[in-house]
Amino acid sequence: MRFDRSVTTTCGYCGVGCRLEAHAADGRVATIAPALDGPANHGHTCLKGRFAHQFSRKRDRLTAPLIRGEDGALRSAPWDEAIALITSELTRIRDSRGPDAIAGLASSRATNEDCYVMQRLMRAAIGTHNIDNCSRVCHSPTSWALRQSLGLSGATGGFDDIEAADAAIIIGANPTEAHPVVGARIKQATLRGLKLVTIDPRRIELADYGVLHLSPRPGTNAAVMLGLAHVIARDGLTDELFLKQRTKGWAALEDLLADYTPGEVSRITGIRAADLERSAHIYAEATNASILWGLGVTEHRYGSEVVRLICNIALMCGKVGRPGSALLPLRGQNNVQGSSDMGALPDTFTGYQSVGDEDVAQRFEARWGVTMKRTGGLKIPEMFDAAVAGELKAMYIFGEDVAQTDPNTTHVIAALESLEFLVCQDIFENETTKYADVILPASSFLEKQGTFTNAERRIQRVEAAIEPPGEARTDFDILTTISKALGHDMGFASPAEVMDEVAQLTPDWAGVSHDRVARGGLQWPVAADGTDSPLLYAERFELPGGRARLAALPYKPPGSEASDEYPMILVTGRRLEHYNAGTMTRRTGNLELLASDWLELHPDDAERLWIGDGDLVSVRSASGRIELEARVTVRIEPGHVFTAFHFPEIRTNLLIGSSADVNTACPEYKVVAVDVRPVAEEASRTPAITGARRD
Amino acid sequence: MTLTIDIDGTETEVAPGTTVLEAVRAIGGYVPTLCFDERLDAFGACRVCMVGIEGLTVPVAACTTLCRDGMRVDTRDETALRVAAATVELVLSELPGPPAQHTELAVVANALGVDGGELRWPGEQHEHVHDERHPYLALQHELCISCGRCVRACDEVQGAFALTATGRGFGSNIAAGLDEGFRESACVSCGACADTCPTDAITELTLLALDSEEASGAL
Repeated sequence: MRFDRSVTTTCGYCGVGCRLEAHAADGRVATIAPALDGPANHGHTCLKGRFAHQFSRKRDRLTAPLIRGEDGALRSAPWDEAIALITSELTRIRDSRGPDAIAGLASSRATNEDCYVMQRLMRAAIGTHNIDNCSRVCHSPTSWALRQSLGLSGATGGFDDIEAADAAIIIGANPTEAHPVVGARIKQATLRGLKLVTIDPRRIELADYGVLHLSPRPGTNAAVMLGLAHVIARDGLTDELFLKQRTKGWAALEDLLADYTPGEVSRITGIRAADLERSAHIYAEATNASILWGLGVTEHRYGSEVVRLICNIALMCGKVGRPGSALLPLRGQNNVQGSSDMGALPDTFTGYQSVGDEDVAQRFEARWGVTMKRTGGLKIPEMFDAAVAGELKAMYIFGEDVAQTDPNTTHVIAALESLEFLVCQDIFENETTKYADVILPASSFLEKQGTFTNAERRIQRVEAAIEPPGEARTDFDILTTISKALGHDMGFASPAEVMDEVAQLTPDWAGVSHDRVARGGLQWPVAADGTDSPLLYAERFELPGGRARLAALPYKPPGSEASDEYPMILVTGRRLEHYNAGTMTRRTGNLELLASDWLELHPDDAERLWIGDGDLVSVRSASGRIELEARVTVRIEPGHVFTAFHFPEIRTNLLIGSSADVNTACPEYKVVAVDVRPVAEEASRTPAITGARRD
Repeated sequence: MTLTIDIDGTETEVAPGTTVLEAVRAIGGYVPTLCFDERLDAFGACRVCMVGIEGLTVPVAACTTLCRDGMRVDTRDETALRVAAATVELVLSELPGPPAQHTELAVVANALGVDGGELRWPGEQHEHVHDERHPYLALQHELCISCGRCVRACDEVQGAFALTATGRGFGSNIAAGLDEGFRESACVSCGACADTCPTDAITELTLLALDSEEASGAL
């Protein structure tokens, strides 16, 4: 036999949720192949899921707990000592400052079961609702808006709707790089006749396969959506019966739409009126059409409102609730859906049940044997503000590198430095662990058991192909041990038992169990008898009266706009070869395929600014400054520049300010006014953390 | 509407448009295949999935033959198996050595009783030509049997259009881009080609390392 152990598991990179066959030999992953019956990937996967697994046995993996000594240096420590220190410090701070002086972050990279025990640890063992997860900084606006407009926080269908659709609009997403398997499915669908409209400031690869590409100015998505809706209404393309029977709020929306003529929208967004009109007709006249979106929609000051405006368009055309007519947010991380579903949010328990709902709260209190507040806790950006203000004294950060990935890095670092006690639980040291008092060695998705929930609301099994290295433990093990040490014994023997408790406490997950999830997965809501829901809203919306809510929300300019001092607009995103902070992919052969980030710049700007292809440039915003290589490309519009955020040596997020979504505090990563200029001499590539210019 | 067909004496109902191969697999039957991959459109090139059909004088390829109502399929048809075995024997005769046991080619050869012993038609064999410039993917050109699966996976599953079939006859092979290797081609490193390859002509460097460790361990 070539392999010692073979398991079918679910990919731990993006939100597509590819099912994988992982094969191990001598305690290492030998190879990963796609599962032929994977519902999202149909026997395919990308270079991250298939190849980027060697990080799991890199020499610099954390293999023992680390404690920071008086001298500031980290030393290896036995588990008992690390747990005793965490217990005594968290207890001291809770007793002296109250439980709300402590906050925790769960991870959208971790399993549902890990996220559930993390939020229970914070709520029941510590006694605070200060729990959040990294979906705050990506798709929280989607989650919020879908609940407002339609009722449930998830895609209305699944990826099979791509093949079932006659037309599709993709806005603010670059699937061939960020969700490669879905990108491949979309590309194949276009080759078979899908009429695709792409809307993005950059000319993404799929634009070459679509019938029309619109390049709006960053931050003007709302105007584009209102313009599309205007044309749909003006040209009589609405589904009158659907509007009448299944929605509320049409009159107000219709009034608002009158202002958003193609000419006006063209003025705001820079896209041609004729293109806007044609796009509206392609979508509305198709028998079935879907809309897909990504972080290019959400990571804006009014990102959550734009998601509601997207819902408007689907509702106006009656294109919800049947195969091929779906609203499909492309969730960023493998379990960004599940971490929020599991209640790792400051205002909701599992299944988005409000902490302020008396019946719900009592159900959880009875189960956990504790009493809890009825008011929500702090969101991630509020945690950092509270830390800087001296109100938050301790944080427990599990699987997130906030010092690299969160906006306004300088502020985040100030917050981490203000804490009396910081615990990091991760698989590698990273920018955030530099400020940790205790670092706990955790496990990757290849080393643990549980479930992830993908962008289709599909709960899928995760199985361990290899063991955690050295003294590292599974996150389930670590979190339940610490909870017990803090006096709250959760009593779970396995992740499967965690899921059983979730099912008992969560109506939408009533029928979920590891046995039922099995090979094919389950798309929530799952009834008590195990029936799942591939398609939502075929008959009614999950809102009072069963009606969807149209939103009459006007366009408002973004939080950051080009000015004389910062004349260019920076957009950030992902590259195919790497994944987010790059903690994993930078430790694999993917680094050989792509070794550094670069700044994409239009030839007109390059010429104007005396920047040549490959030159080192300085990018400066009101928040910070970085240096990186420029590449000249016509895929970006004049006046805009683009880069990714995968490399700590470039540290793109130094540039991002604290502007955030008005409803969910999701940072505005996608619109930053910057100044770009060449760096004449051979300069240091060290990012200027404290040297940001102050005006 | 469904069609009723008979496979080796078992009656089964299939939808119009079902191929003979799909019908056989649906009832748990076996027909060897080389150029077939369920993720790709049927190609009908390798002539290994041969079956007998009542009323026809010659065997047909199961992967590209559609079921007809009342069709009687014989997967153990003597002529069909003889043709398939001879085809595989010819394929093997061009390779520098017997196929590795984990490959689909080896499985098919075993199923057809082509044990790699004395070859009836010895002839020229491919020279070793390896390309290991990609961090993950390895090309071993001498193992290519020109089934076209990698090229089609690249086109039909990923849509990168990075692989090309090159040459004619004995010189048939595959090339990444204009034969400049994966990294310089339009390849997006998805690995669909390595996943579908039935011979290890495209495989992973880590698996080659594992196999050579195993081979040296066995000595």
